[in-house]
Amino acid sequence: MNTRPYEGRLVRLRARDSEDAVAFHSWFNDWQVTNWMGVRYPVARGREAWFVEHTPEPGFTRAAFAVEALADGRLVGNCELQCELEDRTGTVGIAMGERNAGFGTDTMRTLCRVGFEVMNLHRIGLTVDASNERARHVYRKVGFKEEGELRDHRFIRGQYRGTVVMGLFRAELKREETQ
Amino acid sequence: MHRPLEGELVRLRAREESDLEVFYRWINDWETVKYLGARYPRTKKFETEWLASGDPSFTNSSFIIETRADRRAIGWTGLHDMTPENRAATLGIAIGEHEFLDGGYGTDAMRTVCRFGFEMMNLNRIDLTVFDWNTRAIRVYEKIGFQHEGVLRHGMFKAGRWNDLVLMGLLRGELR
Repeated sequence: MNTRPYEGRLVRLRARDSEDAVAFHSWFNDWQVTNWMGVRYPVARGREAWFVEHTPEPGFTRAAFAVEALADGRLVGNCELQCELEDRTGTVGIAMGERNAGFGTDTMRTLCRVGFEVMNLHRIGLTVDASNERARHVYRKVGFKEEGELRDHRFIRGQYRGTVVMGLFRAELKREETQ
Repeated sequence: MHRPLEGELVRLRAREESDLEVFYRWINDWETVKYLGARYPRTKKFETEWLASGDPSFTNSSFIIETRADRRAIGWTGLHDMTPENRAATLGIAIGEHEFLDGGYGTDAMRTVCRFGFEMMNLNRIDLTVFDWNTRAIRVYEKIGFQHEGVLRHGMFKAGRWNDLVLMGLLRGELR
């Protein structure tokens, strides 16, 4: 009961608010962010505001968060779990606006801890672009196992790319930084 | 392999708008309602809306109980107030056709809905409250594995007096 469930070492997860739309809009129009996400088309400012406005309050079936730096409260990313009620499985969505490996790892670890300790999930899964080695490294470090690859799953920027499926059980989550 | 919605004697199915006639009769029949939390008479409009209010799902898990022998609707049951994080739900059940109050139909329906809750909905706990004077129901609940967990003193004012409610609970693995 002493650990704050939504805080990691570097970041804090909080509910999304309408003023977050400005930063989200710039990230989702930045190819360095969208390159890995399968986002092909530009997103209008008003559309992004609509998305944020229509994000439900965090709950079991969709727990969507803004990620802010613990140090100064600035917005550094967003993440979410979409869950199945009976299966108790969650699917991760994550996008970091500040590409700092420490934030990404801490966000994933905090999100998975929320999934297991707050939401009582059995399994957390995700898919990642096979050529996104940095993200795959982060997910493995957090404890995810690579379970398979959907070969030539998506066509982005002139070539086919695979999608790797990863999964994590509660006991596999690596809580602390292991160097 | 058993069919998840079937017991020995009964089958659970979704509510249909065509159940209005029997349902309207049950919900306005004191001999049925006296065992339940319901207090006021209900209109056909209210019951029509209730019967149409959504297909069964995790958060709306409500069924008609019908006999397997001739598919006659005899009552209703449901798991409600679930919290997915706690994996817990509260059970409600009523047999509206009085001649089916004996003969094991209620017991079979209870077993079937509890099994469905654990096997198909992945619940960990099912609980219920029952009037302390409803000994027939309490015996059924005990028989299939529910344990007495407490008493809500003066839990419900009904029929001109305070009634105590018995709180009973069943954990995954305890269903008999």
